[in-house]
Amino acid sequence: MRRQESLVWVAVTVALVALCAAALAGPQNSGIGAGWRNPATVLRLTMYAVGAVGVIFLGVSYHRRAAAVTSIAGQLRSAPDSSSQSTRLNGDDELTRLLNTRLEQQQAVIGRLQDELRELRIRAQLSERQKQHTEAVIYSLRDAVVVVDDRDRLILANAPAARLLGFALDSDRYRPLAEICGEEHAEFARLVQQSARSRVEGTRRELSFPLGQDVHIFDTIVSCVQEGEAVLGVAAVLHDVTREKEISQMKNDFVSHVSHELKTPLASITAYSEMLVDGEADDDKTQKEFYAVIQSQAQRLNRLIEDILNVSRIESGLIKVNKEPVSLTILIEQQMSMIKSYAEEKSIVILGQKPIIHDQVYADRDMISQVIVNLLSNAVKYTPAGGSVKIGTEVDETAGLARVTVTDTGVGIPAEEIDHVFDKFYRVGANNKQAKGTGLGLNLVKQIIEKVHKGRVFVTSEVGTGSTFGFELPLAQTELAEAT
Amino acid sequence: MTANKILIADDEIHIIHVVAIKLRNNGYDVISANNGAEAYELACVEKPDIVVTDYQMPVMTGIELIEKLRAHDELKDVPVVLLTARSFAVTQEQQAELGVSACLSKPFSPKELLKTLQDILHQQEIALQR
Repeated sequence: MRRQESLVWVAVTVALVALCAAALAGPQNSGIGAGWRNPATVLRLTMYAVGAVGVIFLGVSYHRRAAAVTSIAGQLRSAPDSSSQSTRLNGDDELTRLLNTRLEQQQAVIGRLQDELRELRIRAQLSERQKQHTEAVIYSLRDAVVVVDDRDRLILANAPAARLLGFALDSDRYRPLAEICGEEHAEFARLVQQSARSRVEGTRRELSFPLGQDVHIFDTIVSCVQEGEAVLGVAAVLHDVTREKEISQMKNDFVSHVSHELKTPLASITAYSEMLVDGEADDDKTQKEFYAVIQSQAQRLNRLIEDILNVSRIESGLIKVNKEPVSLTILIEQQMSMIKSYAEEKSIVILGQKPIIHDQVYADRDMISQVIVNLLSNAVKYTPAGGSVKIGTEVDETAGLARVTVTDTGVGIPAEEIDHVFDKFYRVGANNKQAKGTGLGLNLVKQIIEKVHKGRVFVTSEVGTGSTFGFELPLAQTELAEAT
Repeated sequence: MTANKILIADDEIHIIHVVAIKLRNNGYDVISANNGAEAYELACVEKPDIVVTDYQMPVMTGIELIEKLRAHDELKDVPVVLLTARSFAVTQEQQAELGVSACLSKPFSPKELLKTLQDILHQQEIALQR
């Protein structure tokens, strides 16, 4: 700016000097005919020309300065405080300072806006990521999750919810839940609507839903989502508790069965001992009979407690196993003699077989004895009077196995229940009235054979004809050979 | 005077045996059955003065037996004593509905059972005298 100012002053000086020189030279060389070849004339013309150029330069310079001032004044006038500032414009320095200040202010504003924009972008990315995470969690849940907006329209749900309520995740989005659920799941839709109306944060109810062939029970928690006074929507989580309920029922049944089983021998012990104490068994024979009953019932009680404890010990892996070479034939003979009196009470015949010499298995003697007695007593229990129970052993040397089978002429097991007979606490419904039991005996057989001895249990049955239960164990020679 | 006839239904032969001895020693006539169905048939024929039945029995439970007795013209008023190893199996309301005179939990005392039966028979006599 200062350079431009100097140039203007130079131009003014040159123009003035040139015009003065031309004026001074004029009177001496004036007149027609002096001709342009005259040096004075040439000088005067040159001075005129230089003066003219200076004047043009001044004009152009003035025009540019005036345009710049007009433009800046216009800009300042358009600003809110331009009126007060524009009046103070007094020269280029002031103007430049104001312009620079304004520019700096605008740059600061632009900087802040850029920062805010960057922050908003980050927030948007985080929000999107959070939404994706939430959706990923919801989609990965095994529980059914349904979220509706304040107008009962489905906005989010996972695959288990779609399966349960029978809708399509994509095409049914933004449709009213009541419409999606239809009459079949109307109770659930009503619960969601009620939650939105009542604005309750957590309503819990058990609802039944048809799932495949069965009806499942779901623990349903419905929560109204609010922001201040406004209802944003409702979120519902449905947890399938069918299996939990079944297990709970099985446990209750087990406790009930066990208490009954424990109390029955205890009732005999109590009654017979009271009779002895009261002197109601006056002769020796009756007294001995009473003592014998007390003893047998105490043993029965002990067996039952052992069964319960053994199942628990095997399951927890705490049982001590003493494996040794054991002859199955000898064990079977011992257990047959133990069960004989029970079978005779029911007029049932127990049939054995000729001894097999090479039937040794590498097993825990007491545990396999328990397996055999459990299978025999079970067979006697479910066989009507006059029937028979046959126990036999066979050896498959090729496979390196010994197989024991117990076949009865009992009531048999319905085909739909046969897969469950080895389950803990399971009792065949159709045979429940036939005899009492805890549902532990066969489970213990399975645990001892399969978990402790790595063998296999099996069962075949026909209702009204009878059942065959059995087990296979590796022969001792096979197992010992493999071990070495 | 004829002895009161008591029917005992239980699938535990030892229980039947000990109760029978206790009651016979105290002058009662005792008949027994191993399940509810047998007990019902016997009751129809013998018309006992009191029925003592176990709750859980094979073939027919004690509850089913009581329901059948209540549906029988001649046995509908027979007093019934229920023996149960399941303390909470039968509620007071159910007992009242079934007309159960008394419910004893196993293990029970034969003396307690005897006293219960004597009380029931005594009340029955008083009712008849009125």
